[in-house]
Amino acid sequence: MSTAVSLQTGMPRLERAEGAARVAFALRRIGGREETRLADLFQDGSANVRLPKVHDGSGPAAVFLNSAGGVTGGDHLTFEAHFKAGSTATVTTQAAERIYRRSEGVGRIDNRLIVEAGAKAHWLPQETIVFDGAGLRRRLDVDLLGDARLVAVESIVLGRTAMGEEVTAVDLADHWRVRRDGRLVYADALRLSGDSRAILSGGATGRGARAFASILVVASDAASQLDPARELIATLAADGIEAGASTFDGLLSIRCLALDGRRLRVIVEPLIETLTGRPLPRAWSI
Amino acid sequence: MITLTGTATSMTEPTAGATLSRLMTWLSPSFPVGAFTYSHGLEWVVEEGTVTSAATLTAWLSDILRHGAGRSDAILLVSGFRAAAEGRANDLQEVAELAYALQPSKERRLESGAQGRAFATAIADTWGAPSLADLAGRLAPDPVAYPVAVAVAAADHRLSLVETVEAYLTAFAANLVSAAVRAVPLGQTEGQRTIRDLAPIVSAVAAEALIASLDDIGGASLRADIASMAHETQYTRLFRS
Repeated sequence: MSTAVSLQTGMPRLERAEGAARVAFALRRIGGREETRLADLFQDGSANVRLPKVHDGSGPAAVFLNSAGGVTGGDHLTFEAHFKAGSTATVTTQAAERIYRRSEGVGRIDNRLIVEAGAKAHWLPQETIVFDGAGLRRRLDVDLLGDARLVAVESIVLGRTAMGEEVTAVDLADHWRVRRDGRLVYADALRLSGDSRAILSGGATGRGARAFASILVVASDAASQLDPARELIATLAADGIEAGASTFDGLLSIRCLALDGRRLRVIVEPLIETLTGRPLPRAWSI
Repeated sequence: MITLTGTATSMTEPTAGATLSRLMTWLSPSFPVGAFTYSHGLEWVVEEGTVTSAATLTAWLSDILRHGAGRSDAILLVSGFRAAAEGRANDLQEVAELAYALQPSKERRLESGAQGRAFATAIADTWGAPSLADLAGRLAPDPVAYPVAVAVAAADHRLSLVETVEAYLTAFAANLVSAAVRAVPLGQTEGQRTIRDLAPIVSAVAAEALIASLDDIGGASLRADIASMAHETQYTRLFRS
């Protein structure tokens, strides 16, 4: 298949990343036991879903992927996961999402989770790599009902840090809105507009970090995870890796900063395994 | 459209100069919100070595103003003021809920919530601000986040929004400089020079907030967030945040 070429720039033009994918999980009675099963699946455009077999007792997993191979200005992807009452499942991504330099506009990614009473949702996408010149508007909207539980992570890496790429022009807005029974309980708003290397060079921002992650646990016993998280952070924090954890209002909030993507994983991976009580999704090691 | 009880038209029309004297009173270090007990994580970055001088303090505060709570609070203040002034009660409640939900750590929630609660109480006990009392009632038991509380009182008293947001940020910066003078420590003159050096940034952030919408909110003060979290376990602490 020949690669389309932009008439304006003469550069190869990515397949448009446009589409929507949706999964739902529900508790089913199977042979006398209650087990979580896939209850709905929808995919359209370049937003796709894979359903690998999972045998570690943590419930089914769905792997979202963008078959366009990346996101650039003007693209729009929507991913949604619905965890019906009592279900337990994990949603992850096939690979790091790549946000490429755009010629115009910004890429949009909308992620939506609905987690019903008694359900346990693990939202564990891999990193998003943001290239120089990229523009992205991303939202994670979570609706929790009753005693629903959530472990969620979002990671961003600026440039291909292993190759020494620097991101000096970016237009990035990454927002979380988490509601419990309709009430906003947590929000996050990352905004990097302009020279991200300069912005993140200061002591209040990143001190040179080019990779960062936020982890959120929502659970009635979230506070009990604080000490284990802090112990891990104390062990793993090093040159080029910093993190903090805090618990309040039924939440555990963690921020991680690292010089590069590899170091970010050094701290994020064990934290996720501790907080979910499960091994990482297999997709993370492929 | 739902109108607020006791809208601004029922307040006494302020005389010229009311903005200046009210803002100076409400944002004074001696207004009973306990501002001097909060350091926004500064006490930790002093201990940890990021802020050890007037120069490093200026750099840190400059980033907090432009890429952290300074800019975000200013946008929340502006949005809250306009919602209150225009009688948009549901929008105002959304701004207030967002302001509190955006606080990423226990001590930032305390800093925002406790000051907001104290401000609302002090205003209710003295000058009065019907929309603020109404908002506090709607949000209870959650507090009104501090920048939104200031915004709503200002709107009720028909103060100038431009001056309110500039005064809010000036007081925010001055309070943290005062914390640094105690924590680093710095000399009083060094502290005042820092405030002088930050004044253009305060003005620039205020100007940006006046033309921003809630969609423009956000920052990158990640290390300051971590500082706030780490401060919880700091061995010797003068400050609650």
